[in-house]
Amino acid sequence: MSTIVLVSVIVMGSLGLLLGLVIGFFAKIFKVETDSRVDLVAELLPGANCGGCGKAGCADFAKSVVSGENPPGKCPVSSAEQINAIAMALGIDAGGGFKKRAVVRCGGDIHQVARKINYNGVLDCASASLIAGGPKGCRYGCIGMGSCAAVCPFGAIELVNNLALVHPEICVGCGKCVSACPRGVIQLVPIESTVHVYCNSPEKGPEKRKNCKVSCLGCRKCEKTAPEKFKVEGFLAHVQYDAPVLPTEEDVEAVKCPTGALLTAARHKEIETNDPEFSVNE
Amino acid sequence: MKYIELAVGAILVYNFVLSRFLGICPFLGVSKRISTALGMSGAVITVMTLASAITSAISRYLLVLKFEGKVYDLRFLQVLLFILVIAALVQIIEISLQKLSPKLYQALGIYLPLITTNCAVLGAATINANVGRSVLDATLFGCFSGIGFALALVLFASLRERLDLAAPPRACAGIPLALVTAGILAMAFIGFSGLC
Amino acid sequence: MNKSSRSVMTFKNGIHPVYHGKELSESAETRVAPLLARYTVPLAQNAGKPPEVVVNPGDHVKKYQLIAKASGFVSANLHSPVSGTVKGLVDVPGPMGVPAKALEIVPDGLNEEMEPLPAIDWRTAEPKALLDRIAECGLVGMGGASFPTHVKLSPPPEKEIDTLILNGAECEPYLTADHRLMLEDPESVLAGAAVMGRILGIGDRVFIGVEMNKIDAIHRLNEKAEAYGVNIIPLKVQYPQGSEKQLINAITGREVPAGGLPMDAKCVVQNTGTAAAVADAVLRGRPLVERIVTVTGSVVKNPGNWKLLIGTPVIEAIKLAGGVTEEPGKLILGGPMMGFAQKSFEVPVSKNTSGILLLAQDQAVNYVSGNCIRCGRCVQGCPMHLMPCAIAAAVESYRFDLAKKHHVMDCLECGACAYVCPAKRPLVQHNRRAKAEIRRLTAKK
Repeated sequence: MSTIVLVSVIVMGSLGLLLGLVIGFFAKIFKVETDSRVDLVAELLPGANCGGCGKAGCADFAKSVVSGENPPGKCPVSSAEQINAIAMALGIDAGGGFKKRAVVRCGGDIHQVARKINYNGVLDCASASLIAGGPKGCRYGCIGMGSCAAVCPFGAIELVNNLALVHPEICVGCGKCVSACPRGVIQLVPIESTVHVYCNSPEKGPEKRKNCKVSCLGCRKCEKTAPEKFKVEGFLAHVQYDAPVLPTEEDVEAVKCPTGALLTAARHKEIETNDPEFSVNE
Repeated sequence: MKYIELAVGAILVYNFVLSRFLGICPFLGVSKRISTALGMSGAVITVMTLASAITSAISRYLLVLKFEGKVYDLRFLQVLLFILVIAALVQIIEISLQKLSPKLYQALGIYLPLITTNCAVLGAATINANVGRSVLDATLFGCFSGIGFALALVLFASLRERLDLAAPPRACAGIPLALVTAGILAMAFIGFSGLC
Repeated sequence: MNKSSRSVMTFKNGIHPVYHGKELSESAETRVAPLLARYTVPLAQNAGKPPEVVVNPGDHVKKYQLIAKASGFVSANLHSPVSGTVKGLVDVPGPMGVPAKALEIVPDGLNEEMEPLPAIDWRTAEPKALLDRIAECGLVGMGGASFPTHVKLSPPPEKEIDTLILNGAECEPYLTADHRLMLEDPESVLAGAAVMGRILGIGDRVFIGVEMNKIDAIHRLNEKAEAYGVNIIPLKVQYPQGSEKQLINAITGREVPAGGLPMDAKCVVQNTGTAAAVADAVLRGRPLVERIVTVTGSVVKNPGNWKLLIGTPVIEAIKLAGGVTEEPGKLILGGPMMGFAQKSFEVPVSKNTSGILLLAQDQAVNYVSGNCIRCGRCVQGCPMHLMPCAIAAAVESYRFDLAKKHHVMDCLECGACAYVCPAKRPLVQHNRRAKAEIRRLTAKK
């Protein structure tokens, strides 16, 4: 009985040894130099492959972080702790100030914007914008068919009353929606900013007014009230997102925008979600 | 004639994936794109052929040892030995693939080491041992079985690429629809039964 | 070739629209429109770069006076359609739904005309002189694409051209402008064809393809054709017979290679309207300031054909036709298959406006598009032998790479696929989207 055990052990052992040697031999000739740090960084990254950093995916970004091309902070999705963890692991500077949120710079929902044509086609913003300049009267605002919502990997965009609405608490600022929008309505803004101009039309005030009740008329009221925070270019006001102090709710109250194009993000969301019949004029 | 029968049997009638239902894991895992499916097919054909050759040699000449007039029946070690051989083979392929085709290596990902536990490979080895095929027959059987696996995988990958363009209800999209498709594909292969 | 023994020429695939709508206006003689109170002449009337304005607000211009000069090779001159005062640049609704710049001109009623340019004897003149005259007179393709004619007539020297084809097919339903032109002024069309044939150095391979539903026009052209050395080819009534690639295939049997231009099949294709304008420019020394436009539709009171000055607002043209009998459902510039639906009645007529079509409300139906039932009718209908169903499926899942593999870039946007689709799928829109997206992606690279 003991002999069969002995024979088994010998057979298995020798075979194992042989195969081990063969593998060792192959490992020697087909040796690949890999940087273990790349795998480490890739593991610490969220793995959403959203492309917000400008790289093809998280693995690609990890490579660029290890090579020093990009700081870890360039990843828009990772939280501050995650980025710090990567920086600690590599012993480099985290790099900051990249955190962004997307904002749809249009307040023209179905109640505010006149529909000029009877659109009967593909329900996709890019397709619709090819037909006679899109179904809404305004040629610069949100089309409201949700191309941005379709590409958002995080489900942060909701369509309310035919208007795309970014939920800031879900949005990570990867910027996929920015490139998906045929109108360029969506902008990436610093995460700290709470006040936005909800209009994107460079047309003359009266032209805009014909199409939309909540457009920015370019009256310069905001610029006069807080010149360092708002600037009117042409007929459209812009929040100065790179200003040292970002506008707050008090600024919005002080300005008293006549059309309601200047709003805090919270108020904008409240208007669109809670009160579908709301109109500034009524 | 014998080899034609062996080929038809292994590729069509007793297709490893669609008739014997072995190797379902890579069948579902790497069938999203035809290109990766082709790469996986190549890897599996190689592993199956080599594994069948080596394991049949082992089972014929090593498992029943005659030593000093005594017979040592080691057939209880069969599975253990086969796994050992397959694992080593896969390891070798993985190492060489990483060097030779890093792109395919990336695409196959976790499914490459999982060929080790691909029951189609072990199944081919076990069937060979049970039927008692010669080393040449077993090697050919392994190769044909691998081709059968490749056929099923590539067919399925092509179907899934087409299905990618469809807009099924959300509950069905992805794996559920893939499984239904696999079932229908298997039914189609029933048509070959009785051929040999 | 024995003409009587062969069947009427045509191309493969394509469709046969059930209702042609041509009877509304085909027997209406072309009338000259009275002078209006104001004209808005759009600047960008040619493919390529828009011309540069050479007059100032307040300037007095004569009829046929140059008001905007070509700003490059692929650009066309623009001339004043009336004598009057230039008010300045204004925004008008463009035919594509995007506002366009236009010169507003208020006529003074004096009808002062520029001296006509000297007539050229085309049979002896140098091709270069003829080409310069065409460029000077601001001619563009009047079929729809509005590509500057002098550019089309000067192919790169390495391309051999042996055939000139004039498109008199007018395959679009409802439109009869070219039909009336061929019927009423066949000599201009033939002379224009011969002039262009001389520019290209083509001897006897000048053809005019005319669909069989214009048999009277074929007869009229045939009466004079011999004197100009032009061949009149009757074509089967089939849509899109008037598309240049299909026309080349029908008449010469050649195929334009995928992604290629007619010159790759040794052909140049021009519209009959362009030919008449060429005759005007060369024989009479007149630049292009007016064209025949079909104003038609079931809700138009007196559908017909009018010689309209460039810059006439569409609403005025409709008034000429007696207005509408009921509230229209849709305004289309061009034909119903490839024309563009308009948002506004203020769109001005431009050099490529062949028709103004008003559909009734029950004709402008909002279809609910269903799922593809894989019947393959779109594949049978596609004159470019594409698979619109496969392209649409790829576009719907944002696989533009796949759409490109299916050769979506060769799509003509003729609308044959969408016309025959029993599920009413927006196939043309999908193709346009794919083309726009692929162009954007290649431009990025």
